[in-house]
Amino acid sequence: MTISDTWHRLPRPVRIVLARLPLLAPQMLGVIFVTFILVRLLPGDPVLLMLGNMATEESIATLREQLGLDGSIWSQFLVYFQNLIQGDLGVSLFTSNPVVKDLLERAPATLELITYAMILTLLIAVPTAIYATVRPKSIVDRASRVYGLAAGSLPDFWVALLLIFIFFTTLGIAVAPFGRIDPMLSAPEFVTGFYTIDALLAGDLRAFMSAASRLLLPVITLAIVNSGALMKMTSSAFGEIWRSDFIQHQRASGVPERKIIRAALRNSLPPLITLTGFLFGFLLGAAVLVETIFSWGGLGQYAVMAVINSDYPALQGFVLVAAAFILIVYLIVDVLYEIVDPRIEV
Amino acid sequence: MSAVMTPDETPNTDLSATSDLGRFLVRHPAALIGLSLLILQILAIIFAPVLSTHDPMQANALRSLQPPSWENWLGTDVSGMDIYSRIIYATRINLLISVTAVGAAFIVGVPIGLLVGYYRGWASNLTMRVFDFVQSFPVFVMGMALVSVMGQEIWNVAIALGVLFTPVFARLIRAEALSLRERSFIAAAKCSGATDIKILFRHILPNALSPAIVQISISIGMAILLTAGLSFIGAGVRMPTPEWGLMVSTGSQQMILGIWWVSFFPGLAIILSVLSFALIADAARDFIDPRRAR
Repeated sequence: MTISDTWHRLPRPVRIVLARLPLLAPQMLGVIFVTFILVRLLPGDPVLLMLGNMATEESIATLREQLGLDGSIWSQFLVYFQNLIQGDLGVSLFTSNPVVKDLLERAPATLELITYAMILTLLIAVPTAIYATVRPKSIVDRASRVYGLAAGSLPDFWVALLLIFIFFTTLGIAVAPFGRIDPMLSAPEFVTGFYTIDALLAGDLRAFMSAASRLLLPVITLAIVNSGALMKMTSSAFGEIWRSDFIQHQRASGVPERKIIRAALRNSLPPLITLTGFLFGFLLGAAVLVETIFSWGGLGQYAVMAVINSDYPALQGFVLVAAAFILIVYLIVDVLYEIVDPRIEV
Repeated sequence: MSAVMTPDETPNTDLSATSDLGRFLVRHPAALIGLSLLILQILAIIFAPVLSTHDPMQANALRSLQPPSWENWLGTDVSGMDIYSRIIYATRINLLISVTAVGAAFIVGVPIGLLVGYYRGWASNLTMRVFDFVQSFPVFVMGMALVSVMGQEIWNVAIALGVLFTPVFARLIRAEALSLRERSFIAAAKCSGATDIKILFRHILPNALSPAIVQISISIGMAILLTAGLSFIGAGVRMPTPEWGLMVSTGSQQMILGIWWVSFFPGLAIILSVLSFALIADAARDFIDPRRAR
């Protein structure tokens, strides 16, 4: 039996994952190299920046050696890479914690925010786009077109502030826009890191309500701003299928509309999956702004603090994690794409 | 919409286009709104000293956080600076950064796109992989990192955005060039002894340019949003320079207290500005390719 035979005996999804995984390593290496170069582009000496003006000759030399900055650029990269493999991203200049610890603590907050925002965005955008395509010139079609144009022009940070002003300050129906949970309540025991899920698992309904109500405004902000673009892209992906020959043929053959829509939807799944992946990446960037406004305490807010305090190890760590995260999302997207499109040979 | 054009369907670029544009605008009110908003911005840039009522950087502690009034049309911010005058002056900074960034990305991206689209080989592939890679980072995160590493200055914001937008133009031109190079008029040019440079710039470039031209307008809108976002988190333009995102940021602490005008009006300026470029892009797409309009 040849290797090729064994390969083809594997279930298709397994083959897809196995074929994709080797690509991850060079991409990851690229990410590491770029983040490394990014910080080396710094004007001035990072050691002097870290130690400030009061540094002695000795302490400069020691830190330079510690950071592996006394060698050539390649040996520096090797040191950086070795540390990285051991899970060492350096120490934050601002929090004095290892950057890895800081990032791990904050990642669930961001993921929870992005996940719910993505679900809401998809729920708004996809059905609207499909209805608008199926019923052209309807009110929904016209409204979604205007919305698609306008929503792309909205700055998310402004929308967040406006929602706070309307629903918290003026109407008084939203909870205070500070943090993920009422400070009087204790955070639920860590299981998934999602406060809403952990609270339910712990059976703590009050914590759940508090966490859910605090998610409301930031999630709505992200959905308002991002569903317009997704709506536009879904319409064009679904519309292309909707006007294609095989759908025309189904219609001519008298297939009921519900069935036609289902068939068209099934065929627009691959581009939709790709769009969802992009959306996730985009939300990660948008979360930086929204988290800052809602004092969310996630990765985004950490990154902003890093920028403001010139905390380069923290910034470097954030960019690295964000890029790695995106790569993994794209990997999942590619795998799902190939799974739902049986025409692709693996 | 089909990507292949027959010779008699060449894009609308002849001289009669000016009168076509007039007719087009009458039939497309959205395009007219976009163009009017753009003209308003250009007027604000040129006549800022005439249109403004106060010195945009003059703090006045006695008139801090005044609501909109006859004296201060859109109110004042925490240091007593006139919000209306600052919004007018900020048009200069915001459009300067965005237009410079997108212009640079266009000038660098278009030739790269032409080359990697026309010549096949490892260098083209490598360039595209590098672009894939740059584009796989979230734009805002990358912009933030670039600006904070290079130093928070106006020009660095423009450079960072330029770097991030270059692959967009290169990719669009490449896609067009890839299909154009297989067309018979290119083969004909080659047979008649045209050099590669002549083929690239005389034959391929003019036919490949329309999607990139539409993209200029889209990208300027995006650049305005990104610039404002960067300044908002403190990674862009700094006080007291009038910049829309920064102005929203200075009011963000007061918004929750009910003092809405400090953040509200600059945000409105961002929306109108970005919207104008989005509308123009949308109209330009329909104008260049009338079959697209439904």
